[in-house]
Amino acid sequence: MIAEALVSVEAWAPIVALRNSVLAYPIVNAAHVLGVALLVGSIVPLDLRLAGLWRSIAIEPLWRVLSRTAGAGFVLALMTGLLLFATRATEYVESTLFLGKLGLIVVAGLNAIWVSRRLGSTPGRIPPPVRRGAVASIVLWLGVLLLGRLVGYF
Amino acid sequence: MSPRNPAHMRLIVALLLCIGLVPLASGHHGWGWASDEITELTGEIVDVRLGNPHGEVDIDVGGETWTVEVGQPWRNERSGLTAELLEFGNEIKALGHVSNREGEQLLKAVRVTTREGHHDLYPDRVPDSD
Repeated sequence: MIAEALVSVEAWAPIVALRNSVLAYPIVNAAHVLGVALLVGSIVPLDLRLAGLWRSIAIEPLWRVLSRTAGAGFVLALMTGLLLFATRATEYVESTLFLGKLGLIVVAGLNAIWVSRRLGSTPGRIPPPVRRGAVASIVLWLGVLLLGRLVGYF
Repeated sequence: MSPRNPAHMRLIVALLLCIGLVPLASGHHGWGWASDEITELTGEIVDVRLGNPHGEVDIDVGGETWTVEVGQPWRNERSGLTAELLEFGNEIKALGHVSNREGEQLLKAVRVTTREGHHDLYPDRVPDSD
């Protein structure tokens, strides 16, 4: 059933047009990179601050700017990623690297939600579990980026 | 950043580990994964998947299926390699570099020859002698 759904997604006219396009595909691809850049580019400094770096800088304003930038980047990466996936859906679901990337996104997303809740409930000092969560966040998102890139190479 | 702080050390180690994995990306894109030698394959088309990020044409070469990697749409278009020429059952000749990976029957084409003649996907990489 899933296989049939993937085949029909690949055969859907707008997706066929994207797959065969000269310009649209690289533009969607570039937008995906932009989404990843915004996500990783904001989450790394935010996590480093949470992990204990730059203690003289207040967390609250940093959090307000960077968590929203990361969220926007994630949404952009997700939407463009769905489009790129759709062009070769049946092939991507057979890629271990791609499935690993999806799994890592779920873990990284749950970790982000946990860190953000834990932080919201304890204003002031950063509890050690949150610091570890922040370090894990960097490793997880960089892992997502790395696996995403490797999908194109293997 | 104080390297004496154990949390910082863990972070640095984790980042270095990530960077250390990068050389694994030895390439499906590009040419790093393929042999330097030029190989020629001739066969009948058994499956075609054209489009981005690059097209793939499966051909039957003496009973073995080989995947010929062709270009993305603009590259195929530039060489005159159209979907009509790559239909199921057509015979094509592919000149290019085979994959170095064990068990992988994959050739990245620099030139594909159809009933309409040569289609040079990578003109700079086609050997001089015709």
